[in-house]
Amino acid sequence: MSTPAANPASDINEAATLRQRLRQWLPGARSAVIGVPYLWLLLFFAIPFLIVLKLSFAKMASSIPPYTSLIEYVDVDKAFTVHLNLGNYTQLLADSQYVLAYLSSIKIAVVATFFTLLIGYPMAYVISRMSPSARNIAMMLVVLPSWTSFLIRVYAWIGILDSNGLVNRALQALGLIDEPLHILYTPLAAYIGIVYCYLPFMVLPLYANLVKLDNRLLEAAYDLGAKPWQAFVRITLPLSRSGIVAGCMLVMIPAVGEFVIPEMLGGPDTLMIGRVLWGEFFNNRNWPLASAVAIVMLVLLLIPILLFNRAQQRELEGKLA
Amino acid sequence: MPVDAKPDAIALNSAPGYLSIRELRKEFDGFVAVDDVNLDVRKGEIFALLGGSGSGKSTLLRCLAGFETPTGGKILLDGQEINALPPYERPINMMFQSYALFPHMSVEQNIAFGLKQDGMAKDAIARRVGEMLELVQLQQLAKRKPHQLSGGQQQRVALARSLAKSPKLLLLDEPMGALDKKLRSKMQLELVGIIEQLGVTCVMVTHDQEEAMTMATRIAVMDQGWIQQIGKPDDIYEQPANRFVASFIGSVNLIEGVIDEDLPEYVTVRTADFPAPIYVGHGITCYEGQPVAFALRPEKVHIAKDEPQGETNKARGVVEDIAYFGSHSVYHVRLPSGAKILSNFANMKRWDSDGITWNDEVWVSWDDNDGVVLTS
Repeated sequence: MSTPAANPASDINEAATLRQRLRQWLPGARSAVIGVPYLWLLLFFAIPFLIVLKLSFAKMASSIPPYTSLIEYVDVDKAFTVHLNLGNYTQLLADSQYVLAYLSSIKIAVVATFFTLLIGYPMAYVISRMSPSARNIAMMLVVLPSWTSFLIRVYAWIGILDSNGLVNRALQALGLIDEPLHILYTPLAAYIGIVYCYLPFMVLPLYANLVKLDNRLLEAAYDLGAKPWQAFVRITLPLSRSGIVAGCMLVMIPAVGEFVIPEMLGGPDTLMIGRVLWGEFFNNRNWPLASAVAIVMLVLLLIPILLFNRAQQRELEGKLA
Repeated sequence: MPVDAKPDAIALNSAPGYLSIRELRKEFDGFVAVDDVNLDVRKGEIFALLGGSGSGKSTLLRCLAGFETPTGGKILLDGQEINALPPYERPINMMFQSYALFPHMSVEQNIAFGLKQDGMAKDAIARRVGEMLELVQLQQLAKRKPHQLSGGQQQRVALARSLAKSPKLLLLDEPMGALDKKLRSKMQLELVGIIEQLGVTCVMVTHDQEEAMTMATRIAVMDQGWIQQIGKPDDIYEQPANRFVASFIGSVNLIEGVIDEDLPEYVTVRTADFPAPIYVGHGITCYEGQPVAFALRPEKVHIAKDEPQGETNKARGVVEDIAYFGSHSVYHVRLPSGAKILSNFANMKRWDSDGITWNDEVWVSWDDNDGVVLTS
């Protein structure tokens, strides 16, 4: 009798010790899983960022690399001296050229984001009201252009907006205009390019939000006397706020630093900070000033990012409470 | 087919009620969800649409609310045809299944929603919201958001919201569906109390017969888009119109047979299950040889070890199963024919030592007027 009784007991013991061992081992595995992305961020975000930050406090020099080092060992004094040059930052503030470029970038990004929202919201709304199978196809179509190269898509717009392009030829063929419209190489073309390229980033979070909207809430609103548009304003719109904020951030933040679109479509009057940065870095070979431009842009963008994070956190807390 | 054999129900259908539904029909892609329904609801009544899933009860309710457009027929409320009105123009409010409270609004704002929509003045809205909060006793929770409330509190908010506009008709869609059993029976009576206090006419949809019986003044039993029977809870239970209603409401012994004798003062039913014909102590509209079902509620079947008096309405069998429910037990008695008869036995004594138990030979019997002959 004792042997069959002892066996299951020892099995249980064995299982318990195994579990204990696993538990001891698991925290290591857990931190490894979390550690990988952090290591990635450290290597490819934090360290490059610190390098750029360091560069922004250096001076331009005609050497290789083309900047002075921050820390210098002076043999005479037997001491390290740190040269923290704030000149790049003061130059940014003093030269209205840079201030204007920042303001213009923000303006272009904000206006473009507004139009992306204006186009993206109805798209996301309509798709979210489709049947589940139609929804998937529609979302696929929204994302599909992103499968081709960004550069090619922007380049394609040259062919569309050119004086000899599709738009002008179509309008002329219809007899609506005599002279081709001058769209390409104007700020308008840059707006069109940004809105087009960033539309999926607006539609995706909005769709993800709107598709969760409980249709019975709208029915309840109708039932209580709200016309469809009133129900939209009082129920759908407020409930999709987090989707709107997410979409706007996803469009506005990269749009501020956009370089390719204004460069290829925008023409010389489209002043954007990305182009200024490019000019400083490649044309003037002023790496320190270019770095300062980048750091200031980052700080400017940090404000909306923080606001966005806070809004998201609050929503999360509200749901959990 | 719609069977409504009761003469007073027919008379009632011809007199237009406060809410009249006339030949209402709703089809979805060739599927008929509501099939020529006629219904009259009196003012101040709590009327229940009772049925299983797919019975058409919810579709009928959605037609009343205006979320579905009927394929045919008419809906009249207080003499006005409302078919063509969109939901936001109907003087009807609904308490939704699982409430559909607006998650981004506080309790107050939820209740005020409909009033604001009507363009009511701010102080009038505040007063009305206050009244409603008092009615459902939620004054302390006015500033809370719906997700901070318990299920029962959410239901009160939903009720207050649907009553705030003083609707001519209140619709309840599975009002207790989201509550646990204990809370359910408490809220059923509370809800009825509030509705009766305000005197609002109410149509509710439920699949729960106990809920319908507890809350409603009258019930329409629906199946496959048809109304099978309309009546008071006890009418529907004691005088089911057909086999479906008899077996849908409560449990029942259904015994198939044919009419043997059809006389004005009594009828007898010949069955394969009982040695003697079933004797029914009142006349019914039927003919000799008509196939019928005899419906007998388990609580009306007596069970005893000794043979009862009388020549008819009894049979011998063996106890096959006993289901113990605390307050009563259900005995499953197998007859020699193979048919099974259920008998409820109230457990009036504690530890009844000489009680009937498994495999006992017993007699089941019933009184002459305890069963119902169903002709359809």
